[in-house]
Amino acid sequence: MASIVRPTLLRQSCLKVATKKAFSTKPSPTFPAINKPLSSVVSKDAVRSRFMKEAVPSSMRVAAFHATGRRPILPPLPQSVNGTANEPAPVPDPSPTHGSYHWTFERLVSAGLVPLTIAPFAAGSLNPMTDAVLCGAILIHSHIGFEAVLIDYIPDKRLPKTRKAFMWALKLATVVVGVGLYEFETNDVGLTEAIKRVWKA
Amino acid sequence: MLAQRVAQQSLRRLAATPSRNAALLKFSLTPTAILTSPQFRQVATQKMTPTDSYQILVEQRKKRPTSPHLTIYEPQIPWILSALNRITGSVLSGAFYIFGSAYLVAPLLGWNLSSVSMAAAFGSWPVIAKVATKLLLAFPFTFHSFNGLRHLAWDMGKAFKNQTVIKSGWAVVGLSTVSALALALFV
Amino acid sequence: MASLRTTSRLFKAARPAFKSQIRTIAIGNTNSTAHPVDPSKTSTIKEPAADPDSKIKTFHIYRWNPDEPSTKPRMQSYTLDLNKTGPMVLDALIRIKNEVDPTLTFRRSCREGICGSCAMNIDGVNTLACLCRIPTDTKAESKIYPLPHTYVVKDIVPDLTQFYKQYKSIQPYLQRSTPAPDGKEYRQSKEERKKLDGMYECILCACCSTSCPSYWWNSEEYLGPAVLMQSYRWIADSRDEKKEARKAQLDNSMSLYRCHTILNCSRTCPKGLNPGLAIAEIKKEMAF
Repeated sequence: MASIVRPTLLRQSCLKVATKKAFSTKPSPTFPAINKPLSSVVSKDAVRSRFMKEAVPSSMRVAAFHATGRRPILPPLPQSVNGTANEPAPVPDPSPTHGSYHWTFERLVSAGLVPLTIAPFAAGSLNPMTDAVLCGAILIHSHIGFEAVLIDYIPDKRLPKTRKAFMWALKLATVVVGVGLYEFETNDVGLTEAIKRVWKA
Repeated sequence: MLAQRVAQQSLRRLAATPSRNAALLKFSLTPTAILTSPQFRQVATQKMTPTDSYQILVEQRKKRPTSPHLTIYEPQIPWILSALNRITGSVLSGAFYIFGSAYLVAPLLGWNLSSVSMAAAFGSWPVIAKVATKLLLAFPFTFHSFNGLRHLAWDMGKAFKNQTVIKSGWAVVGLSTVSALALALFV
Repeated sequence: MASLRTTSRLFKAARPAFKSQIRTIAIGNTNSTAHPVDPSKTSTIKEPAADPDSKIKTFHIYRWNPDEPSTKPRMQSYTLDLNKTGPMVLDALIRIKNEVDPTLTFRRSCREGICGSCAMNIDGVNTLACLCRIPTDTKAESKIYPLPHTYVVKDIVPDLTQFYKQYKSIQPYLQRSTPAPDGKEYRQSKEERKKLDGMYECILCACCSTSCPSYWWNSEEYLGPAVLMQSYRWIADSRDEKKEARKAQLDNSMSLYRCHTILNCSRTCPKGLNPGLAIAEIKKEMAF
């Protein structure tokens, strides 16, 4: 007897779930989405407007959150994977000048900037020599910083020409600024003294 | 068994009457659509070579969306301050680059960018503009300097605990704000 | 007996439920063609009365179905009574899948934080759903996204192929050419073994890598915190003899040095590990 009863029960409970679902307060666009026939028989909006809108608190509707990664500039490309999951990602050739040496040099410059930054506050302003050293250190630090920005945000693989153009533009700008600062340091009072004068003006 | 078959037949006959028929027809059209139970799901399979199925994967990959990132990640001290570090650094270096290149081309364009004239020009500004400009330069300077110390500590492999990172972060925010205000207002 | 289970009999048993369904459809049909029937002429279907001391919490969950690739991803809301739900976010997800919406898709396996399958972004932070308690504040609505800046396979299932390929590229296994001195096993002092603590526990859930903005922008070439920490796990291993080769692999501008010590990785690690520190140690070892 159980064999007769069980399927009926099952079907009934299953129906119960289904009816509940049809009238549930969930906005569930999934529900017409998973079975196409419904949308052809009953319009989605009709069901929704009739049974849901009034009963649905605003919190339960499909919320307007960010559901896609939004990147107006350089949106990610469609996914493509080279080789299967069992092949390792390619390993680039070692180049310490862009790797470990670069990092060490950058940290030394940054660490060197610490006393050079404190000195003018302690001494009022700097003598021409230390002032020139400070300018040079800031220039190198800035160049490396801008370079990091370009490497981070202009992918070489995707935009090789743009990357190259920006890198050269940066190099040119650094040279121009370097020459300009040399002029300033030799003809004027020096960076720290100038800032001091303007600040106190 | 005979009794069962009789019952079954009578049921069938019952179902064959027109009124029932209509109801059943409607039923068979619609409720299957309403039922979202997996019991009703029809699955079709087809044979496929590994290369074909790989092609399907490749095609699927092309259609995949990227999940949201910056906009949904909780604003936490580590990455907010890191972003601020880059922004303040860029502001300072940008100003530095603009000044340096402007000084070089100044004679060609007839500008006077000597420290004396710049000081005189800046001195003639209204006080509010002066303080605002000073703040706009002083905060990036103080923040980048203090946060730079934090970065140097990390590069030496120190102060990596989560709580230390949070505390040092807030300390940098506080110190740089106070010192920037002091530089802008009192120096 | 089985022959009695005819479909008509089943239908008969279920008929009361269908009647209301049929009515629904009729209304729906008229709606789609002409003016809607006035609400006063139709029956009202009320939702079941809520349990007075139920703790209803809303979850907004990222949904995207690969079968409909042109539809945009959306946030689907679900409400659950926390009194009937287990304490962890994974319990809530499983309950939604079992009782509310079987189409919700997510990865899960061990439910105790050792498999790393259920890594996802919960309330803005990457973590394992099985280790993350549901915030009991019912006013705050929880948002669940896939791991950030990953390609979505379906709903909250991200594609981690690139992550695994990168893991493979660092050769995460012991490499040595000299045999063991005693001919039996490669021995290690307690101090040497201690260096591996905090690194071997990593379960590669990818929470840290996908929390790293650097990895978001450059996941093609930058290895990311999880893989770099595993790389250091082998560099720091006293038994491994390919340290220099391992370091040389990282010695370029992209693989390691896209790390700008943002430290989202250490902050988010659901196992309490510190990938940021491991990367700093690699940089230090490679510096001079």
